[in-house]
Amino acid sequence: MKNIIYNIGYFIKEGRIIFKLNFWSNILSLFSIGLILFVLSLVISGWRISTEVLSLIQNEAEINIYTDETIDEKSLKTVIERINSIDGILESRIVQKEEAYDRMEKVLGEDAKVLEYFDDNPFHFFIEARIDIEKIESINKEIKLIPNVQYVRDNREILIRLRSITRGFKILGTFFIAAVGISTIVIISHIIRQGIYNNKDEINTLRLLGASEVFIALPFLMVGLVLTVGGGIIAAVLLYTILAQLYAYIAGPLPFIPLPSFPIMVKSLISIILYISLFLGIIGSMIGLSSSK
Amino acid sequence: MIKAKGVYLEYRDGTKALNNVDLQIKQGEIVYIIGPSGSGKTSFLKLLMGIEQPTSGELTVLGKEMNKEHKKNIRQIRRQIGPVFQEFKLIPGRTAIDNVILGMRVLGMPRVLLNKNALEALEKVGLTHKAFTKVDNLSWGERQRVAIARAVARKPSLILADEPTGNLDVKNALRIMELLRSFKDENTTVIITTHATHLIENLNEGILLKVNKGSIQQESMGRDCNEKHHL
Ligand SMILES: Nc1ncnc2c1ncn2[C@@H]1O[C@H](COP(=O)(O)OP(=O)(O)O)[C@@H](O)[C@H]1O
Ligand SMILES: [Mg+2]
Repeated sequence: MKNIIYNIGYFIKEGRIIFKLNFWSNILSLFSIGLILFVLSLVISGWRISTEVLSLIQNEAEINIYTDETIDEKSLKTVIERINSIDGILESRIVQKEEAYDRMEKVLGEDAKVLEYFDDNPFHFFIEARIDIEKIESINKEIKLIPNVQYVRDNREILIRLRSITRGFKILGTFFIAAVGISTIVIISHIIRQGIYNNKDEINTLRLLGASEVFIALPFLMVGLVLTVGGGIIAAVLLYTILAQLYAYIAGPLPFIPLPSFPIMVKSLISIILYISLFLGIIGSMIGLSSSK
Repeated sequence: MIKAKGVYLEYRDGTKALNNVDLQIKQGEIVYIIGPSGSGKTSFLKLLMGIEQPTSGELTVLGKEMNKEHKKNIRQIRRQIGPVFQEFKLIPGRTAIDNVILGMRVLGMPRVLLNKNALEALEKVGLTHKAFTKVDNLSWGERQRVAIARAVARKPSLILADEPTGNLDVKNALRIMELLRSFKDENTTVIITTHATHLIENLNEGILLKVNKGSIQQESMGRDCNEKHHL
């Protein structure tokens, strides 16, 4: 260990020499890895943003349950109790017909005058329940079994579509992580193997002088890390630019899409990309080193 | 320190390089191995460094067995050796001093000692003025002296020098022989191979090993110690 610490400066210097030995090819690799990681980071961003949007919308997910108009107090109480006992119902309350009227007035705004044509309040009281969107199917099924329930209204079309978008990103993201991971590892391990081959006489001399395998490997590991983490930084810069544009674009004309906060999002995405590149660099270099023994 | 008993070495292509070597070398001894080219001098040093393992027989170096089944000892042994290779094995593209320092780095020597030891060693071989020259730009003789400086800077307990004067003029050859001999006074074992018998004719201490077609015979030193030669 002290052997390693004493020689950090040497490893960096050696790493630089090894890098310079194939300077242009290494620069090209650096940028290709940067682009590959950038594509990966786009997919991960899509996944993260849609998950965030979904969970923000999900918190608003609710259904409206309508009963017989003529239901008596006691039966209504039973209905509410049964609704609350269903798995996935977060909370429920009764919306009286007056409140329903007020809400519609708000929704209609200018056009609320139309309501004046009714002699009576045309609305019906209903039960409003916040739900866990993941369980919407089973909730629906169970509510329909409750006596006196006439009709259930939900906005699940939208929610289900959003959910499938998120799942798509998740599948795509997993696939991309695998594909990008494999190609980065292949590139890095190949570069390391090439470097070791180009330096095989020097490496042999170090072995004869009693150098440990770690001592011999570290400069190559550094080159691998420079290439992947460097690529990660390139990807992060590109991603930052693109996300900033995207946020400016969406936040203006489409203010109702509840995007997660920009700084938090960017920070977490950039650290994910850097961690992934560090991880791939270590794995790729290790494979390159061990395959050239 | 070094003990060989019935050691044979046969290369993979069937060349028999060493036959039934029996010998014993104590710590702090100086040993000269002479013999014609191709007789097996380098092969013997390769066994001591663990580059090759005996085909049969028992070999112990610095108290550790160097047979096929003890390969994990090899790195430990190499760290205690100061090797001077016949073909130098310097790292190209680096300066003389960087090469000398590298020999110490792999041992994990504290940084504060690196420059000091390296300059001392280069001074001993008379190359201080070339310390910061890339080894690629040095003459063969100068490279050989860098290789020697790298070996001695490691403060080894065993110096293995394979034809260390092969590329040197007489003056430098004598200087190197005297330098290597001087490590005996620090209780370092020194083993030197050479086919230049004139360099050892007037030495009067140490062990002389004569190698011929893979057989090693011990002879007494200092036969000529009474008739001083002028070189
Ligand atoms: N790696 C090898 N493979 C096969 N034969 C070898 C190898 N190295 C040396 N030899 C042979 O072994 C014999 C002894 O060689 P060596 O020990 O280098 O002699 P010296 O150092 O005394 O000149 C020679 O015949 C040489 O050709
Ligand atoms: Mg030889």
